[in-house]
Amino acid sequence: MDGDTKNSTFAEKFFKKFPDRFTECFIAEQNMVGVATGFGARGKVPFASTFACFFTRAYDQIRVAGISKANLKLVGSHVGVSIGEDGPSQMALEDIAMMRAIAGSVVLYPSDAVSTEKLLEQMAQKRGIHFLRTSRPKTPVIYGNDEPFPIGGAKVLRQNAGDKVTVVAAGVTLHEALKAAEALKAEGIGITVIDAYSIKPLGKDVIKAAAQKTGNTVITVEDHYLEGGLGDAVAGELSVDGIKVHKLAVTSLPRSGKPAELLAHFGIDAAAIVKKVKSLD
Amino acid sequence: MIDTDIELLKGIANQLRIHSITSTTAAGSGHPTSCCSAADVMATLFFGHMRYDAKNPHYHNNDRFILSKGHAAPLLYAAWAETGLFPTSELLKLRQFGCDLEGHPTPRLPFVDVATGSLGQGLSVGAGMALAARLDHLDYNTYVLLGDGEIAEGAVWEAASFAGIYKLNNLIAIVDDNRLGQSQATAFGHDLGIYRKRFEAFGWRVEDVDGHDIEEILEVLSGVGLNDQPLCIIAKTYKGAGVSFLQDQDGWHGKPLNQEEAAKAIAELQPCSKSGIGVPIPAPAQLPAPNHAAPASYPPINYKPGDLVATR
Repeated sequence: MDGDTKNSTFAEKFFKKFPDRFTECFIAEQNMVGVATGFGARGKVPFASTFACFFTRAYDQIRVAGISKANLKLVGSHVGVSIGEDGPSQMALEDIAMMRAIAGSVVLYPSDAVSTEKLLEQMAQKRGIHFLRTSRPKTPVIYGNDEPFPIGGAKVLRQNAGDKVTVVAAGVTLHEALKAAEALKAEGIGITVIDAYSIKPLGKDVIKAAAQKTGNTVITVEDHYLEGGLGDAVAGELSVDGIKVHKLAVTSLPRSGKPAELLAHFGIDAAAIVKKVKSLD
Repeated sequence: MIDTDIELLKGIANQLRIHSITSTTAAGSGHPTSCCSAADVMATLFFGHMRYDAKNPHYHNNDRFILSKGHAAPLLYAAWAETGLFPTSELLKLRQFGCDLEGHPTPRLPFVDVATGSLGQGLSVGAGMALAARLDHLDYNTYVLLGDGEIAEGAVWEAASFAGIYKLNNLIAIVDDNRLGQSQATAFGHDLGIYRKRFEAFGWRVEDVDGHDIEEILEVLSGVGLNDQPLCIIAKTYKGAGVSFLQDQDGWHGKPLNQEEAAKAIAELQPCSKSGIGVPIPAPAQLPAPNHAAPASYPPINYKPGDLVATR
């Protein structure tokens, strides 16, 4: 199902190939989620697609789908300040918080094309409410085509003995973390970098193990507000193990600009990560 | 249409009213008057019109029913108990911890497809199911019972627009227009013409009926699927109908009757009530189940590290 965004979300590719399995719901997201829930109740595997921020208006329908233990897949694109010039009305900065709070939900945030495809396959195969967060900017493919992406896992992409801190990121900020790792390496500072593509359930054992090798300290970086996102997920789940979490996120109201400018201004780009790492003892 | 006994259906409607009252009185909470207004529509649908296998609520070609006005849950539970699916004695456990007959319906129950109670959402889900029926080449109809207060919700009109656009003539919305909301009368009360114009504007065929006249209800139901539009039946009803001291009285929303009041109400209803147990229910057509098997495998992916691809 689409909410008249199929040429931005590229759901139109599905429409062209499988027109009899595609329903245009027009600009009415509450109904789209309800229709998808109805499809799920009839044994189908529905994927509802639009910009992630527009799912917020269907939050009651999503909440009720949780109560119904519905089989519902939501794919929300154009997340975060990284969408750039369109500005905050089109930016999802609350969606991770919103979807984590839903009973029984799964929240996924892949950083590249391979992980996106692998996670989608699993979403289709598993029952329940799944939310997949996708981004507007083009990002490099960093995984091999055979790499597995179990829901509830996380990928350690950089790790060396003596790393100063563990940086946990996802989506566009994962690529910023990798850039930061290169820059810091040149200065003799090592950081562990983890791709937390599964925010709920969180790959917490992977993150904890890495953090325990870096002085029980983690920096999280996300294209999302401070509240309720990746940082809160990590802090919330690892605090019992005494892991300190420093959260980098969008901390003030965004505005139009180039994606790279916005990532920099709102403190979630490679330079901000480097600065944060250096600021720690 | 099977040969229908109007007196029997009236009797069953009163039995449903009795159950709604006794179960909510036992629970100490619930919405008996919201149940009473819709009892005639409910009895007609469940015992005089819908085609379904009452022993097998999950059968893929059963007519579907969504109680969008979910607070009338006791009425829904009463209807299914009277089909014989479970003992009517269970109804007295309404709202108790551990009993699946919760305050508002949830899919813990086999005859509930989606949780309702958060008003305004049932028509969208019904529209989805109606569309799914078409894709699956099944001939079941989807009936959605809404309240008149409920149709202030914008989501109802999103669904109405969708149903009109996709010509879902296997979707039937029934508005239980009982005039009274929760804290006061609704904006349009019994002005059925206002609701008619609204649904017609969204591409629906509209029939308005006396919601307590079972013959009228049966007559409009016989027209289901006749043209290419979804059907809206606007039923003029009275909240608390069937009980002299409740009927059309404001101030009773969401209030159970105390023991004394319940006894008085039952005394009025019992003489003209009939059980639905054993009443034959029309069977659904036996059509092939849709193929919901997952694909054996997914096509392999072929990305090269370094390719620039947006995850959207």
